[in-house]
Amino acid sequence: MIEKLHSIGISNAMITSTVITLILCAVAVIGGRRIESVPSSKLQNALEAGIEKLYRFFEDIMGEYACRRYFPVVATLFIYILVCNYSGLLPMAGHFPGLAAPTSSINFPMGLAVVVFFATQIVGIRESHGPRFFKHLFQPFAFLFPIMLVEQFVRPLSLTLRLYGNVFGEEAVVSSFFDMVPLGLPLPMQALSILMGFVQALVFSLLAAIYIGEAAHTAEHL
Amino acid sequence: MTTTIAIAAAIAIGLSTIAPAIGQGLAASKALEGMARQPEVAGEIRTTMILALAFMEALTIYGLVVAIPLVNKL
Repeated sequence: MIEKLHSIGISNAMITSTVITLILCAVAVIGGRRIESVPSSKLQNALEAGIEKLYRFFEDIMGEYACRRYFPVVATLFIYILVCNYSGLLPMAGHFPGLAAPTSSINFPMGLAVVVFFATQIVGIRESHGPRFFKHLFQPFAFLFPIMLVEQFVRPLSLTLRLYGNVFGEEAVVSSFFDMVPLGLPLPMQALSILMGFVQALVFSLLAAIYIGEAAHTAEHL
Repeated sequence: MTTTIAIAAAIAIGLSTIAPAIGQGLAASKALEGMARQPEVAGEIRTTMILALAFMEALTIYGLVVAIPLVNKL
């Protein structure tokens, strides 16, 4: 079955990321099925606590208004990337057919970065009610336009390379440690990768939040 | 030719690790100083520090991205 998927060009990373999407959807649906104002189910309680913590965090960065409107985008990015990073810690990840950390292939971070790029532009256009948003490329000086334009297009590139390089590099180090001494030596590196997976997910969603918040605020001041 | 490529890969990753490492060390030490002096803004400082570290980290990653194709050519 998995060989069949491989033969039509579906990679392990795509299979894993789809499975992760389905699992996250299932958890969200089960957790939000009977929502009560005073949660009695433990799952709803845990989800609410986590989401609230994230909301407070992003509120500090994006500002109250932008966070209320665009929190779902950045929070989804954070949760999805976090689970994808941690999927590389599962036993046999990368060797078992159909299981590989999606973030360790360059296509996955690139897709997310493209989403962030277009989300930024769309938020800007929406908040300034039309293409007036692109005036910010000519501010504060019109002759800076080429630099501002390049900056917009470098953002997704650096987002992609940062996430991909960190996760891939970390996995490469673990696997080369594993080749040297299989017992014990990869462990400290894997412990470090728990921290790293969290930080990378945080950094990606933090930058997305800054870009989107900035677009929303630029639109206000045009 | 193989030797040249190997040395090139080593230089690419080596140099691009040293400079951001110094920068990250400076940033982290200053941030820790700030947190020790004013523990009440520790959360804010931590967020900003992680962001700054991420930008420096990107430079190392650029080196890695250059080095990996070189190593694959060996």
